[in-house]
Amino acid sequence: MFVRFLTAALLCATGFAPPVTAGAQYPLKLQNCGVDLTFDQAPDSAVTLGQAATEILYSLGLAEKVTATSVWFTEVLPEFRDTNAGIERLADNDPSFESVVARKPGLVAAQYEWHVGPQGIVATREQFADVGIPTYVLPADCWHKDNASGSDGTRSTMFEMQSVYAGVNELGRIFDVPERAEALVAQLQAREAAASDKAKALNLQDASAVFWFSSAEMDVDPYVAGRKGPPGYLMAKLGLRNIVESDEEWPAISWETIARANPSIIVIARMDRRRYEADDHEKKIAFLKSDPVTRQMDAVENDRIVILDAHAMDPSIRNIAALETLAAALPVLGLR
Amino acid sequence: MTETATLAGRLRVRPHLWLLVWRGAFGLGLLLAAILAGVVIGETPLPVATVTAELANKLGGAGFPVDPIDAAIVWNYRIPRILVAAACGAGLALSGVVLQALIRNALADPYLLGVSAGASTGAVAVAILGVGGGTLGLSTGAFIGALLAFALVSTLARAAGGGSAQLVLAGIAGSQLFNALTSFFIAKSANAEQARGIMFWLLGNLSGVRWPDVALAGPVALAGFLACCWHIRALDGFAFGAQSAAALGIPVRWVQAVLIGAITLMTAVMVSLVGSIGFVGLVIPHAVRLAVGPRHGRLVPWSALAGAVFLIVADIASRMLIPGQVVSIGVVTALVGAPGFALILIRSRRRG
Repeated sequence: MFVRFLTAALLCATGFAPPVTAGAQYPLKLQNCGVDLTFDQAPDSAVTLGQAATEILYSLGLAEKVTATSVWFTEVLPEFRDTNAGIERLADNDPSFESVVARKPGLVAAQYEWHVGPQGIVATREQFADVGIPTYVLPADCWHKDNASGSDGTRSTMFEMQSVYAGVNELGRIFDVPERAEALVAQLQAREAAASDKAKALNLQDASAVFWFSSAEMDVDPYVAGRKGPPGYLMAKLGLRNIVESDEEWPAISWETIARANPSIIVIARMDRRRYEADDHEKKIAFLKSDPVTRQMDAVENDRIVILDAHAMDPSIRNIAALETLAAALPVLGLR
Repeated sequence: MTETATLAGRLRVRPHLWLLVWRGAFGLGLLLAAILAGVVIGETPLPVATVTAELANKLGGAGFPVDPIDAAIVWNYRIPRILVAAACGAGLALSGVVLQALIRNALADPYLLGVSAGASTGAVAVAILGVGGGTLGLSTGAFIGALLAFALVSTLARAAGGGSAQLVLAGIAGSQLFNALTSFFIAKSANAEQARGIMFWLLGNLSGVRWPDVALAGPVALAGFLACCWHIRALDGFAFGAQSAAALGIPVRWVQAVLIGAITLMTAVMVSLVGSIGFVGLVIPHAVRLAVGPRHGRLVPWSALAGAVFLIVADIASRMLIPGQVVSIGVVTALVGAPGFALILIRSRRRG
């Protein structure tokens, strides 16, 4: 405690102290997805439910506090490959309540409310609170988002990176490393601005897009990005119009609707999962090029197909990498 | 000469033949109207002119200019979809007719045999457990599951004595077993998106239908229809019980085996193509029986027709209920079918 005070005092003296670190941080009170949390001190350990939460903690240099992870969509970010290899994975998908509790974590950090929310698939937040374990849900999954409606929830306003940054900052404060969180956010914001400037320079006037995640079967109605999720944000930043008008996070829209809207580019998700045939991005491309309807779409005829990491289409710090990938891909596509 | 004389003679003796012709024309007209409506109405409306121009191009070699994407949508998406809907509707309705006759149970339909439950389990096994390692589609999984379920149920029924009551009970046991397996697989999976993909399929969906599916569903439905027509007398006989049928000189076991085999294959194929669409096999035969009576000479063709039209209309409704979004067709058939089911229950109580 004295050391920390000393550090804070030193930082203050040198003028580098971010405002929140000034003074006593604990007890830390915050409101998280409708639940009041109080931390008397930084949690000694954490179990994560969700890759986005896991990667934020890694990015904050908190890997040594992460005792177990779960809910993986794709490979960990390459810079954390070694770190992650040494940390137990409770389950690729949902772990059981008991397996999480057995780790006696000081915090459960979740990416999605449906893991720990009112219908919590792992358990409700009350159940965790009953055994003395606080739960933190990334704000990106509950800011202006109703998880009780629609298959993957429904947003009332467009997703904003601010909700991801809020998660980074709050986790930084919870674990008493606010300055690392702020540095990370500042770095992400700089990359975001650079990528969006690059796209704005193209001055796209009439370009549109569809983001194809996957499909239950190869040629049935595909799951595509609705208006208000992270892909909607990406499109807005890049000056692209989403041809999908649903407010659901990932609605199923028929190919005939997509083909008649004839988007300028098609963004397809690449993922490790191989449960549906359309999980494979190569097969997605093969379908687009062979189906009698889709092969006539402008984007397919002109090869304006961009491949993007699936996890980067979910709210996470990876949205910035996705923005960069798209901003880099757009100039060569010859759009107007 | 004799032929015409005979025909004329028959016409004199059976003046209702004209009625029959008229009814047939009416039925076919109804089917064609439903097909046309199904092609015109969609998530995004296509002008009737575009549809008719494209049909004239494809069928009559006319050279009307049609937007190539619209043309491809009409020819490659909507027409196959409607034809498969019609084949599935007819097939499922015929399955209901046959089962209700053989089992002499007003509530019998393919789902009673556990065929649908088995198909669901098969699809879920492929989707969630990864059975087949990515080489099997959901449809193939569903087909294998449906056949396995039927094999199990019929073996069980035979071991229990082979009567119709045994078949019903074995069907219930099989359905429960396969539904439990499906739930188990879904519980094992954890991913919301996956569970959703399964729901998408379990509730029935026609969006992925293409010409190769027509080439499968069409002949299977036709073969099923012909098998039913071939056994119309036997079906009438069975309506009075297996013993009465035997007394009429019908080879009971053989006919049972052929008909049940035919409808299982038919249901398995249909369910594997479009998912679980419930209540068609249950409700359509009853509705048709009310209109044309219990004789299978009428019941079989009218049920096939009514099933086809019903499923086309249900598909249209599924595309129109929520603008810009498709509701699973199984939801639509259940919304119509569940009240129908209730009515049948009440009627059968009054009779029994």
